[in-house]
Amino acid sequence: MESRLLKPILAVYVGLFLLFLYGPFIVLGILSFQQGPEGGPQFPIQEWSVFWYKHILGLAPPSRVSPLPIGISLTRSLTLAGMTMVTSTVLGVMAAQAFRRNFKGKSAAFYLIVLGMIVPGVLVGLGSALVATTTGLERHWYSTAFATHVVYTLPFAFLVMLAIFNRFDASVEEAAWSLGVPPATTFRKVTFPLIFPGVLSAMLFAFTLSYDEFSRTLFSSGREQTLPLAIYSTFAVEIHPNVFAFGVLTTLFSFALLTVYAILMTLSVRRAKRVAIQEAV
Amino acid sequence: MRAHVAEGSVLRLEQLTKRFGDRAALDKISFSVNSGEYVSLLGPSGSGKTVLLRAIAGFEAPEEGRVSIVGEDVTRKPPHLRGIGFVFQNFALFPHLSVFDNVAFGLRNGGDKRTESDTRRRTLEMLDLVGLNGLETRGVHQISGGQKQRVALARTLVIKPKLVLLDEPLGALDANLRMRMRVELRRIRERLGIPFLHVTGSESEALAMGDRLIVLDRGAISQFGPPGEVYEHPANPNVAKFLNCYNVFDGSVQGDAFVTNHGPIPLARRVASSTPAYAVRYDRLTTRADAGAGLSAAYIASEYLGSAIMHFFETPDGKVVELEHHLSNGPPDAYEAGRTYRLSWRPEDGIAFV
Amino acid sequence: MTATEIIVEAADATPPRSTRSVGAYLLIAPAIVWMTLFLVVPMAMIVYVSFWTQTTFKIEPKLTLDSWQTFFSSSTYISSLWTTVRIWLTVLAMTFLVGYPTALFVGLFVKNKTLQTTLLVLCVIPFWTSFLIRVLAWRPMLGKEGAINILLMKAGIIQQPIEALLFTDLSVVIGMTQIYVVFMVGPIAFMLGRIDPNILEAARDLGAGFWRILRKIIFPLSLPGVVVGAIFVSVMVLGEFATSAALSGRKVNLLGNIIVTQVGSLKWALASVVGVILTFIMGVVIAGLLRIVDLKKEL
Repeated sequence: MESRLLKPILAVYVGLFLLFLYGPFIVLGILSFQQGPEGGPQFPIQEWSVFWYKHILGLAPPSRVSPLPIGISLTRSLTLAGMTMVTSTVLGVMAAQAFRRNFKGKSAAFYLIVLGMIVPGVLVGLGSALVATTTGLERHWYSTAFATHVVYTLPFAFLVMLAIFNRFDASVEEAAWSLGVPPATTFRKVTFPLIFPGVLSAMLFAFTLSYDEFSRTLFSSGREQTLPLAIYSTFAVEIHPNVFAFGVLTTLFSFALLTVYAILMTLSVRRAKRVAIQEAV
Repeated sequence: MRAHVAEGSVLRLEQLTKRFGDRAALDKISFSVNSGEYVSLLGPSGSGKTVLLRAIAGFEAPEEGRVSIVGEDVTRKPPHLRGIGFVFQNFALFPHLSVFDNVAFGLRNGGDKRTESDTRRRTLEMLDLVGLNGLETRGVHQISGGQKQRVALARTLVIKPKLVLLDEPLGALDANLRMRMRVELRRIRERLGIPFLHVTGSESEALAMGDRLIVLDRGAISQFGPPGEVYEHPANPNVAKFLNCYNVFDGSVQGDAFVTNHGPIPLARRVASSTPAYAVRYDRLTTRADAGAGLSAAYIASEYLGSAIMHFFETPDGKVVELEHHLSNGPPDAYEAGRTYRLSWRPEDGIAFV
Repeated sequence: MTATEIIVEAADATPPRSTRSVGAYLLIAPAIVWMTLFLVVPMAMIVYVSFWTQTTFKIEPKLTLDSWQTFFSSSTYISSLWTTVRIWLTVLAMTFLVGYPTALFVGLFVKNKTLQTTLLVLCVIPFWTSFLIRVLAWRPMLGKEGAINILLMKAGIIQQPIEALLFTDLSVVIGMTQIYVVFMVGPIAFMLGRIDPNILEAARDLGAGFWRILRKIIFPLSLPGVVVGAIFVSVMVLGEFATSAALSGRKVNLLGNIIVTQVGSLKWALASVVGVILTFIMGVVIAGLLRIVDLKKEL
C-alpha cells in the first residue's frame, strides 16, 4: 500500500528537515574552534583552538580583532528582560483574570492586546521612536525600549494565562469566598498557588522574547546597546569567529535558563505527583 | 403571615428572578427556611435549582428580588460577607492543601482573627465530629470520595455558618456510600442545629432527607411542604412525574370521568391544575381483581428492587405503565410477555388534575 | 505549537459568570492603557508623521504629500516594494512546501505521543538561540568557501564553488525559510493531530488512494493550520530586515531595510511613509488569509 511506503520516506524527509534546521548550528559550533586571531569565519579549520572563547571572556592577548562589547550589554539585556518579564506577567495575569468575567468591549480588548504580537517590531520601534523624538523624550533601553518590549511580550503572557484560567476550576474560589475569605486573600491563598505553573510559563515566554528582542529595540533604545544590538552591529563590519563562539555560549545560557525553568516547574508540581504516587501504592 | 414567617426564618427569598439572556432561569421565587430546618430542593436538570443555590450564596447576581439572611438584606452583598456555607457537588477542596489546612482555611483567612491554638482546637473538634481523625496531614488527593465529602462538610461547618447550601452533595458518590452519607449528614446537622438547604435531582434523597421539600420546575416553585404531603398530594402533574412513583396519563374530564386514550377512568379526588392529567401511584395498581378503575396493557418486563418488584406494561398506543409489587404482600405474580392484562386500582387512589 | 493551542482556547474561553464588571475593568485597564500608549499611539504617529514636512535633519508638523511623492517617484523604493512582495511570497511558498511534509509526519503518521513531543521540541530548540546568531550561522554555510560548497565539491558534484549561494535572493530565502518554517509546521501539525483516524480509515476502506485522501480530506482539514502558519510567517517576513541585511550583502532591500536606512539618516517622514505602506500590505494580507477560512469556527 502506498502509505506504507510513505511513512519511511517521510521519516527520512523529517531527518533531512532537522538537518536543515540544525546544520548552521553545527557549522557554527565547529567554526567557533577556529584558530585565532588570524583564522577567519570559514573553512578550513587551520588549527583547533579555544582562542575565540578566551577572546569573548577577555582572556586573549590584545589583537586586531576588537572584543565584542558583551559585558555591559549583557547586563542591560538581562535587566531589561527581567523588568519586561515582571511587568508583562503582572499585566497579563490581571488581564486574563478580567477576561474570566463578561464585560462590554471584551473582544475589542482581546484584539488590542493580541495586536502587540502581530505588528512587526520594526513598525513598533519606528512608531515609538517618532513619539519620543516629537515629544522630546530621550530614548533609553530602560524606558522606551522597555515599553515596546512589554507591548510584545504582554500578549504571550496574556494568552498563556487565558489558557490556564480556561482549565481552572472556579469552584475552589467560590468555596473560599463562602468560607468568609475575602476575594484578595482568596486570590493569594488559593488562585495564585494553583495557577503558578502557568505564571512560570508566562514568565519564561516574556523573558526569552525580551532577551532576544531586537527589531523593536533597534529604534527605541537610544545609544546604549542591548546584547542583540551589539551582535547586529557586527553585521556591518567583518565578522570573526568570536561571534560564533558567542553564539555557542548564548545557546548554552538559554539551556541553563530552560533547566532552571524545568526545575522550578518540577518543584511546583512535585507535591501533586508525590501524592499521586502514594495513592497508587 | 409574612411577619410570622420572617420571625423564625434564617433565609427568606422574595420574588427572586434571574435571567440568562431572555430566558428566566429563576422566576419570582419566594420561600423561607426556618432555623434548625432541613429543606430539600428537588428539581430535574435545567429546573434552575443550582442557579437558585448560587444566587443565594451570592455567586450569581439576581436581576430582581431580595435575599435575606436572619432578617438582613444581603442581595447586594458579596459571597464572603453573607455567612452562608456552600458544599459543592465536586467538593471543590483546595488541592494544594492538606486535610487539616482545608478545614482550617476559613478560620485562618476569614474575617475574624483568632489565635492559631483556637483554630487548631476547633479544626480538630470538627474533624472528630465528621470522623476524619488521623487523616489531618493527608493531601486531599490521598483520600477517598466519602472522605472528601466529609472534608468539604467539615470545612464549611467549622466556621459556623448561619445556613449551609448543599449542591447535590451526594451526586459524586457511589450508591452504597450515598446511603451511608445520608445518615451521616442528618446526624452531623442535628448535632450542630444549622439549617440545611439541600439541592438534589434524586426524589428518594429529597423525600428522605428533608423536613420540608421544595419542588422546582422551570425556574418556579411547584410545591413546598413536608415530604409526606408532597408524596401523597402532588400539586400538579409535573410534581407527580418528578416524584417517580406515579403513572401519569394525559386526557381530559368529561362528566364524572377522566377520559384518556386508554378509556375513561372514574373520578374521585380532584386537584385544580393548569394542565389536566390523571395520576396513580405505581404501588396502587393490581392485576388480581378489578378495583373499580383501570386500563388494559401488555406485559413487557420486570425489575427486582429488593423489597419490591417493578412490572412494566405497555398500552396499545405505547405508553409505559409501571406496577410496583411490595414483596411484603406475598410473592409476585407471574406474567407472560406480550399478553394483555387488566391493570386496576381503586378510584379514590387516583388523582385527577383538572 | 503551543501558540495555536493557546489561541484555540482563547476563542472559547470565559464561561458566563458574574455580571459585575467594574472589577474586570480595573483589572484590564493597565494592559489596555499600556497597549494604547505604546502601540496604538505610536502606530497612529507613523501615519501622522508620513504627512509631515521633512527638512534635512528635522521634521515639522506642516502637512504635505512630499514624502509620499518621493516614495512613489523613486524606482529604488518601488523596486524594494516589489522585492518585499517577491521575497514574502517565495518564503511563504517555501515554508509551506518544506514544512507540510514534516507536519504531515509529526501530526498524522507519528502515533507515539512521546516521539511526537520530542520532534516538536527538536523543532523549537533553535529558538532558544539568538535570532541574529541563527541568521549569521548561514554565512559559513553558504559562502564561496562555505560548508555546502565544500561538501558538494568533495562529493564531486561540482568542480567550481557555487558563488550564487551567498549574498543573493537565494541566501535570503534559504535563511528566512529555515528561521520561519517552524511557525508553519506547528499549526499544521496541530490541526492534523486533531483529525479523527477513523475518517482516514473509512476513506481507505472505500478504496481511495493516499494522494486522493491527502487532497480531498487531509489538506482541507489542515487548512486552518496552514492559514494560521501563513499569518505567522507573513507577519514576520514582511517586517524583516536583519536577515536580508546579513545574508544579501545589502543587495536585497526590503521595505524594512528602507525604514532602517531612512531612520539612520533621520529621514523620519519617508520612514513613516514606508511604515504606512508596510502596515497596509500587512492588513491586506491578514484580511485575505482570514477570508480563506473562518478561524473562530474552525478552531
